Amino acid sequence: MNTSDVKIYGAIAEFENPSELLHSAEKMRDAGFKKFECHSPFPIHGMDDAMGLKRSVLGYIVFVFGLLGAAGGFALQTWVHSVAYPLTYAGKPLFSWQAFIIVTFGLMVLAGAISAVMGIFHLSKLPRYWDAIFYSDRFKKFSDDGFFISVESDDPKFNEKGTMDFLESIGGKFVEVIKGA
Amino acid sequence: MNSNENTNQLANENTGKISFAVGIAGILLCVVGYLKDPEQFIHSYLVAYMFWVTICLGALFFTLMHHLTGAVWSTVLRHILDAIMSTIPLMAILWIPIGFGIHDLYHWSHASAVAHDALLQAKAPYLNTTFFVVRTLIYFIIWSFLSIKLIKLSRSAVTHADLDRMRKVSAIGTVLFALTFSFAMFDWLMSLDPHWYSTIYGVYLFGGAYLNAFVIIVLIVFLLKKSNILDGIVTEEHYQDLGKFMFGFIVFWAYISASQYFLIWYGNIPEETIWYKHRWVGSWKTVSLTLVFVGFVLPFIILMFRSVKRNLTFLTAISLLIFAAHYLDMFWNVMPGVQHHGAHFSWMDISTFLAISGIVFGFIWRSLVNHPIYPSKDPFIQKSIAFKNF
Amino acid sequence: MNILNKKPIRSSDTASVSPGSMYEEVPLITGNQTFSSVTEKICSIVENDPPKMWYVLFGISLSLLLMLVGSVGYLIWEGTGIWGLNNPVGWGWAIVNFVFWVGIGHAGTLISAVLYLFRQKWRTSINRFAEAMTIFAVICALLFPTIHVGRIWVLYWFFPIPNQMEMWPNFRSPLLWDVFAVSIYFTVSLLFWYVGLVPDLATLRDRAKTKARRVLFGILSLGWRGGNRHWRHYELGYLILAGLSTPLVLSVHSVVSTDFATSIIPGWHTTIFPPYFVAGAIFSGFAMVMTLAIIARKAFGMEDFITIGHLEKMAKIIMVTGLMVGYAYSMEFFIAWYSGNEYEKFTFINRAFGNYAWGYWIMVSCNVLIPQFFWSRKMRTNVTVLFILSIFVNIGMWFERFVIIVSSLSRDYIPSSWDYYSPTIWDISVFLGSFGLFFTLFLLFIRFLPMISMTEVKGVLPQADPHHDMYHNSGDK
Repeated sequence: MNTSDVKIYGAIAEFENPSELLHSAEKMRDAGFKKFECHSPFPIHGMDDAMGLKRSVLGYIVFVFGLLGAAGGFALQTWVHSVAYPLTYAGKPLFSWQAFIIVTFGLMVLAGAISAVMGIFHLSKLPRYWDAIFYSDRFKKFSDDGFFISVESDDPKFNEKGTMDFLESIGGKFVEVIKGA
Repeated sequence: MNSNENTNQLANENTGKISFAVGIAGILLCVVGYLKDPEQFIHSYLVAYMFWVTICLGALFFTLMHHLTGAVWSTVLRHILDAIMSTIPLMAILWIPIGFGIHDLYHWSHASAVAHDALLQAKAPYLNTTFFVVRTLIYFIIWSFLSIKLIKLSRSAVTHADLDRMRKVSAIGTVLFALTFSFAMFDWLMSLDPHWYSTIYGVYLFGGAYLNAFVIIVLIVFLLKKSNILDGIVTEEHYQDLGKFMFGFIVFWAYISASQYFLIWYGNIPEETIWYKHRWVGSWKTVSLTLVFVGFVLPFIILMFRSVKRNLTFLTAISLLIFAAHYLDMFWNVMPGVQHHGAHFSWMDISTFLAISGIVFGFIWRSLVNHPIYPSKDPFIQKSIAFKNF
Repeated sequence: MNILNKKPIRSSDTASVSPGSMYEEVPLITGNQTFSSVTEKICSIVENDPPKMWYVLFGISLSLLLMLVGSVGYLIWEGTGIWGLNNPVGWGWAIVNFVFWVGIGHAGTLISAVLYLFRQKWRTSINRFAEAMTIFAVICALLFPTIHVGRIWVLYWFFPIPNQMEMWPNFRSPLLWDVFAVSIYFTVSLLFWYVGLVPDLATLRDRAKTKARRVLFGILSLGWRGGNRHWRHYELGYLILAGLSTPLVLSVHSVVSTDFATSIIPGWHTTIFPPYFVAGAIFSGFAMVMTLAIIARKAFGMEDFITIGHLEKMAKIIMVTGLMVGYAYSMEFFIAWYSGNEYEKFTFINRAFGNYAWGYWIMVSCNVLIPQFFWSRKMRTNVTVLFILSIFVNIGMWFERFVIIVSSLSRDYIPSSWDYYSPTIWDISVFLGSFGLFFTLFLLFIRFLPMISMTEVKGVLPQADPHHDMYHNSGDK
């Protein structure tokens, strides 16, 4: 492999525990890093503030899709019974809104739930099967008991030496540069 | 800040005095009303009475749940619940006019009516005046026992063992409560139309009762906060939880009342649908729709927002709305039995409401003034104050 | 201020708490677990060969499943006439089994969603396999209406799909609501379960020793990297799913109850049915979770994760919902008398003393009397007792549906059409076979997927809280 083909994607450092990760994230934020990420085996309370991230917009997405599901469901039933196939059963009126509520509600929940799941993955940019961070062997620990901070090389504040030193200065261990073909 | 300071601060307040004054004025108006039109009076009285008795019982149930689940967030509110519950024996006294008004209220109490009605004859072993009064007495003995016992334990609780003791009372209490509450609602409200029946009726009224226990706490907290009491004790985290529970029980109430309506609508059996028919005649239709709107749609939408739940002023406004819906709910349950052609509001609805509200609230306030406002010695009080939603 | 207040309270606390008090601070997970010991323990079940017992159970389940396949094959070939259905009793065991399995399928989502909203952290140890149980139970439930229609090749008529006959399904029928409610419930539960699994699948990916496992779990875990930009959407999404699932789970059994309650058959048409069915569903669902949890913790040595505390809390829920069911029985009985309606009165007297009285008393003993043992803490913390009682509850809940459906149908309005219903061998084989389906799926699940959520268990360990005292005592670095 030619060394010139090797690209530097960023840097990664490991931290001892959730508390250190949280405080280091605050220091990264205060130092002006933007494209850095904290990896942990479980969500850590207060990390959004520590990293300076806003509240997720997922709620609005689900709200809209839920409403669409409900409106669509109610419209479908009304159309079926009043227009497409107007047939009286059990002496009930053709437009029996009382009887339509159940399916309307069901479709609202279905649309909301599907949009919530798609929303989680879309907003998290998943599925993504290739990511430079997987070049780091040590990173595998994140899904067990490892706490990591990674910085992308296209962060304006990134420079190989300076970033590595900074990560070490805030308590990072096993600081390494992520590079690969 | 300690609890004695609060008490002194509250004692200077006029809220209690104003409340009693309103109550007494209301009683005077009620006397006039009774002399003018006893039937209207007793129906208006029943509406106002049911409004308050369900709220007090809702507070009792809240307390039972608080102890049973070992909830920590509501520990700061426990003495407010105690104050509300302390009026349960008073509610027994306030029931007396209903006892005297049985003939005006309950069709089944007339021997002549029973003589011509096979159904009422079949129900007579249950629906008769003596048994009715005896049952009411039993309900109040059980409720008073539970509330007095729990208040006493609550005001002296300092150790975990005390909490365990309250929990034991609550376990038995919940079972007793479920049965007595249901039968009380069958007796006082469902038997207004003695032919009609619904198995879910007790649960339906329970939904409104429990919901309004949260509502009245919000209102009391609002009044206390105006005098800067409970600052830093009851925080917006607690408001949010109260709001969440209100939201939950609005849905519960709507679910239960919709289940009842829906199954009767679908089954379409005349002996059942007649109850809803009475509530769909003339202006009753408007009242029914208003109830759905004010009791469910509006608060449901508003309480979805986190910011509303965390703002005491907003939460108080929405609480007043739910309060109004609860009154309307009781009105809607009682009045169509006598107003066959449409809803008709009378000035006596107001005077009976003022009378009972003034007296009951006056006593609630007095209880708040005379006792610590929050259980400062409870082993979980610090945790409760520091409580956070996720 | 938070921390200042907490410390003195904590230390004085524990001293005054008597053992057995609810306020005793017991750790949720015992055995001083570290993050990696949690991973190790839970992954080892999936990565190593299962105990011999697993093969035995799997063999039995698979045999029952084959019996199901055979019975259903014969049913489709021959028609529903092979069952014991007769003229007044047109709904027999198949519908009883349907309601039974849907009911069991309620606990999983209830644990994941409702207990989540109520901040009950103890759910983390049991939610994964309870959700799996839900999904498998709902699959079993969906089987019964499917085969009950007889001509299953026209099943697509259930769905609003344009067809050559220009016919549309009847949205005013409770049976169609069932189709929607149960299949939506299945879909949403599956999504919820999968979302919960993703971080754990990433753990399996990162630990994979073989290429096949790495690729398989790699695909399934979607490239999960545990970054906070994942977690923040993930956590809110989980909360939203919980918020959506809560009314859904309560609505599903309400909808099932309308199959009966919208009709005017005495004993079916009663307004308490929706909440009563929901309470019954939670009751039976928790009993099944209890049964499975006790087997699983024993078989795989999970006592540190599923502690006595967990079992005790479930026992309490079983007791409370059992009381609610008892409340509904008594309200039904009282109102049947109070209504003054002859048919209502007759139906309930017939239930207790008539042709199916044996079923009624099995139901009352198992559902109302047996949970009363749980008033005693000794009983609630004795694993053997819990195991036996949870099975009784499941038996009782099956009989509840049997009593409701069969006793009402066999004695309806016209005495001349009364008849007694007995199952045939095919009713029994399909029912037993459905257990084969359920346990085959469940055993495969505990063999190949982590049966406890590692992510969530790690999240409730004390050291997961970045503000925990242990991090302050050692001083900031």
